[in-house]
Amino acid sequence: MIRFDNVTKIFGRDTAALEEINLEVEDGEFIFLVGQSGSGKSTMVRLILKEYEPTAGAIHVRGTRLSAIPRRKIPRHRRSIGCVFQDFKLLPNKTAAENVAYAMEVTGQKRRQIRTKVPQILELVGLTEKMGKMPDQLSGGEQQRVSIARAFVSQPPILIADEPTGNLDPDTSVGIMQLLHRINRIGTTVVVATHDKEMVDVMRKRVVALDNGRIVRDRVKGAYLDEV
Amino acid sequence: MRFNFGFFMREALKNIRTNFLMSITAATTTFICILVLGVGLLVSSHVEGIVGSVQQDVNIEWYLSSDMSQEEIDEMEGEISSFPEVENVSYTSEEEALTRFQDTFSDNPEVYQDISEGVLPASLEIQLNEAEDADAVAGKLEDAGAAPADLNYPQQTIERLNAATGYMIWGLYGATALFLVSSILLISNAIRLSIFARRNEIEVMKLVGASDSFVRTPFVFEGLLQSIVGAGLAALVVVWLNYLFVDWSQSALPYVPVASGAVDTILILLALVIVGVAIGVIGSFVSVTRFLRV
Repeated sequence: MIRFDNVTKIFGRDTAALEEINLEVEDGEFIFLVGQSGSGKSTMVRLILKEYEPTAGAIHVRGTRLSAIPRRKIPRHRRSIGCVFQDFKLLPNKTAAENVAYAMEVTGQKRRQIRTKVPQILELVGLTEKMGKMPDQLSGGEQQRVSIARAFVSQPPILIADEPTGNLDPDTSVGIMQLLHRINRIGTTVVVATHDKEMVDVMRKRVVALDNGRIVRDRVKGAYLDEV
Repeated sequence: MRFNFGFFMREALKNIRTNFLMSITAATTTFICILVLGVGLLVSSHVEGIVGSVQQDVNIEWYLSSDMSQEEIDEMEGEISSFPEVENVSYTSEEEALTRFQDTFSDNPEVYQDISEGVLPASLEIQLNEAEDADAVAGKLEDAGAAPADLNYPQQTIERLNAATGYMIWGLYGATALFLVSSILLISNAIRLSIFARRNEIEVMKLVGASDSFVRTPFVFEGLLQSIVGAGLAALVVVWLNYLFVDWSQSALPYVPVASGAVDTILILLALVIVGVAIGVIGSFVSVTRFLRV
């Protein structure tokens, strides 16, 4: 589903964000990328989205080598990956429902389809009553639910979350993680970059630990530290 | 993907509503720029019109000596009207000259009460096709027996007028062109500012998988609507100012030949709206494109 082959990313002249990363994420897997700030988690996420090009090595997503995708086709690539960010990245001038609808509009789906699908997905994330609210009228947890709904509404095969609970309190974070888990159980491959130790320990999923741009550990049912 | 006009229009209108102040700024900038541009065009074309009609009015007056007989005068009039440079010759008798003089000064009768018939000479008024021919025609009249002192024509005035108005018209067009350039810069800057304020939104749209044109089109529509409002209003004001000026000049400056038809108002209206809308649309297009590289 997602494969990194000897990927190195160097910023500027000699700041190596990632060094010789090899990683394979299977179809339908749930995987945590953990590590401190600056360890290279976000760089990996951005490489998968083709926001950056790797300095060396190759990345394949669903069998396609990313460097072979022309700029013109990047939007289509991104539509196959639902994306959730730490700062939610909602459109401030649109209501919760409109934000979710926008992700369907960019793919040119019919209005009728959008009108039936958006309430369904908002119900799934538990926001039926807040559909008409603007982002600044929602709590952080609610905004993150909207952004998950937006990421998932087109049912992409992959969902990537970059520090999804970074701005949320622990109780709210549990809800968000459960939501991601539910999405994974439907068959979506989920990649979560985080340094939220408690979440990782509770979920008992595959954990890939990064340190200074290198993979230092890869456990199938891991915990954040995994000293045991 | 099908081009969804309704969707993009709704998005554009919604954006204008939520970013109302920014939209007003862009529309106002367009309005002011197009207004000044329009006034510049208006002044240029009126000056050109007036100069054109002044040049057309050039004529030579030949004051006839009183010992010419009526037959001689008639013969001369016929000969002069056959000159190719001459458009029209008309004879003014001594009585008519006096009547005209009295009419001109009807407000101050003391000017003409001592003037009797015979003081003002009879004359031939020779209208020319082209002002530049004045010298040549005067030469021919001298050959035909006119004393140089009896010929009155504003050759020097014409030459000066030609030079001065030439510079003036070029100056006006130059100023208008300069203003067009600064309008383009001002308007596109206003647009760029309003788009810069929303660059995060553009980034999010791109991350959600929107194509460049999908992000760009509502912005271009916004630019289109703003500039139609701004430039349209400005064009209407320009036409209204033109109407006021023509109206006022007819009563206040009756001797200045301001032609209401010198300015084709529909043409000016169209040109201004097209210029404004082009700047708005191209400006939006270019400004958004800068922020699309995500």
